[in-house]
Amino acid sequence: MTPPAAPQSSNEILVVDDVLVRFDTPDGSVTAVDHVSFGVRPGEFLSVIGPSGCGKSTLFNVIGGLLGHTAGVVSVAGETINGPHQSIGMVFQEESTFPWRSVTDNVAFPLELIGMPKAQRIERARHFISLVGLDGFENRYPNELSGGMRQRVSLARTLASEPKILLMDEPFAALDEQTRLLLGDKVLQIQQQLKQTTLLITHNITEAVQMSDRILVMTYRPGKVKRIVDIDLPRPRTSEIVGSEAFGRYVAQIWADLREEASRGMRDEEDHMMQPAGSKS
Amino acid sequence: MADTSRVTPLAATAPVMSPVTLLRIAIILTVLAVWELLSYSGWLYRDVVPSLLAIGRALIDLLTHGEYYFNLAVTAGEVGTALLLGGTCGLIVGITLGANRFLSKAFESYLYYLGPTPKIIFFPIMIMWFGVGPGSKIALGTLSCFFPVALSAAAGMRQIDKTLIRVGKSFRASTAQMVFKIYLPAMRHPIINGVRLGLGVALIGTLLAETKLSNKGIGFLIINAYSTFDMPRMYAMLIVLFILSIGANAFVGRFGGLDTIRRN
Repeated sequence: MTPPAAPQSSNEILVVDDVLVRFDTPDGSVTAVDHVSFGVRPGEFLSVIGPSGCGKSTLFNVIGGLLGHTAGVVSVAGETINGPHQSIGMVFQEESTFPWRSVTDNVAFPLELIGMPKAQRIERARHFISLVGLDGFENRYPNELSGGMRQRVSLARTLASEPKILLMDEPFAALDEQTRLLLGDKVLQIQQQLKQTTLLITHNITEAVQMSDRILVMTYRPGKVKRIVDIDLPRPRTSEIVGSEAFGRYVAQIWADLREEASRGMRDEEDHMMQPAGSKS
Repeated sequence: MADTSRVTPLAATAPVMSPVTLLRIAIILTVLAVWELLSYSGWLYRDVVPSLLAIGRALIDLLTHGEYYFNLAVTAGEVGTALLLGGTCGLIVGITLGANRFLSKAFESYLYYLGPTPKIIFFPIMIMWFGVGPGSKIALGTLSCFFPVALSAAAGMRQIDKTLIRVGKSFRASTAQMVFKIYLPAMRHPIINGVRLGLGVALIGTLLAETKLSNKGIGFLIINAYSTFDMPRMYAMLIVLFILSIGANAFVGRFGGLDTIRRN
């Protein structure tokens, strides 16, 4: 078992140091993320995995600068994050393409915001559209594309802003299994090609093991770091690796950790439902 | 085999006129026939129901004289100005209320109370403030059109997909960029609907004001024809007005409709 790594700002591009997120609710204060610390090295693919309700998405929003935190520090290349940072590019779980913009205009959106001239940004957008394999769809609108294609548009849009760190929150959660596997291959291929530092938030073990250099397992509420696992599998990896023995061992190991947390979560939810109605007030 | 005929594309087998179109034409013809019968029957006071021929003559007379176009231009100018003023104010207020929970809680109920109030009751005040000329008509039209636009914009603002707002923020869009590149395009359907409703009530407000107190405009011509009991002329003007309203509505609708097809 690797203990939660102490942040080493020297060689880590993203440092999450002792981050605490607490929400005030009518029933009292709830701790969503409990003193979480970890670092991401340049070019690394790190996945954060945990059961529903472990504060994964909260962590995603805090690192992305969309949500404030109660205590602790998040820093990118030594710079403390205080709101959305230009070095971090987010890909959301939900449908996030702009339905009124063509694929090209969607991907060019971040470039438009920084005032890049039209010809130049269209050329850059084309490059990233081609990177995610959507050549020929440049002038289509999102409602003419499948869910998997729309998610690739979102990915291309975020990559077009050339973030130092790609931050993804279950980007394939809404897709069917086959699309999810193929899109995973694509993401992995792009990540290796660009040497893109990537932080993936997921609850899918197979996905995490296939893609990651390291996996951070979180506990059920309040979300703490339970374990960080190094995935020592050869690259390049494709979805075919899923059948290998070493792969199976990693999956089993992480599932053993997660199972404990997930069943705690389930019991907790059942307890909530067992409470007679009205006892809350 | 019998089932395959069902999947034949509609366009290939559709008759020149669908049953709906035929029925619509039949209804119009029936109404016209009943009208003509009534006008010749002598059951009603003379000219309350003038013959179609008389209305036709009045229509030609109306459309061949410059006076009508001058007054049409006056009314169109008033409605256009009212739509511009009321629409802009409505949009700004609607977006502000939609974006700010506190302000919307504090003020939006006033909009709901004042929205359905017939704005004509404010006309005497408008005359005192803006005079008997076009000013008071524009003011009443503006007031009428403000409410539907503001309410649709506020509702539209709240319906914006929150993820799209988060996307904009994650790319560090400025407030102006958020408004022009995300909020407004995301709200295009409710806004077009609001403008459509706003156009309707601006037209009503302006014409109503013109019939009350004025010396130019279509409302003035109509009430003038009525008070001199020139019924054919009055009906002719109503017909033209009816056609113009349909045209204006279709124009705004097409504007929104095209958008729907191409960009969802």
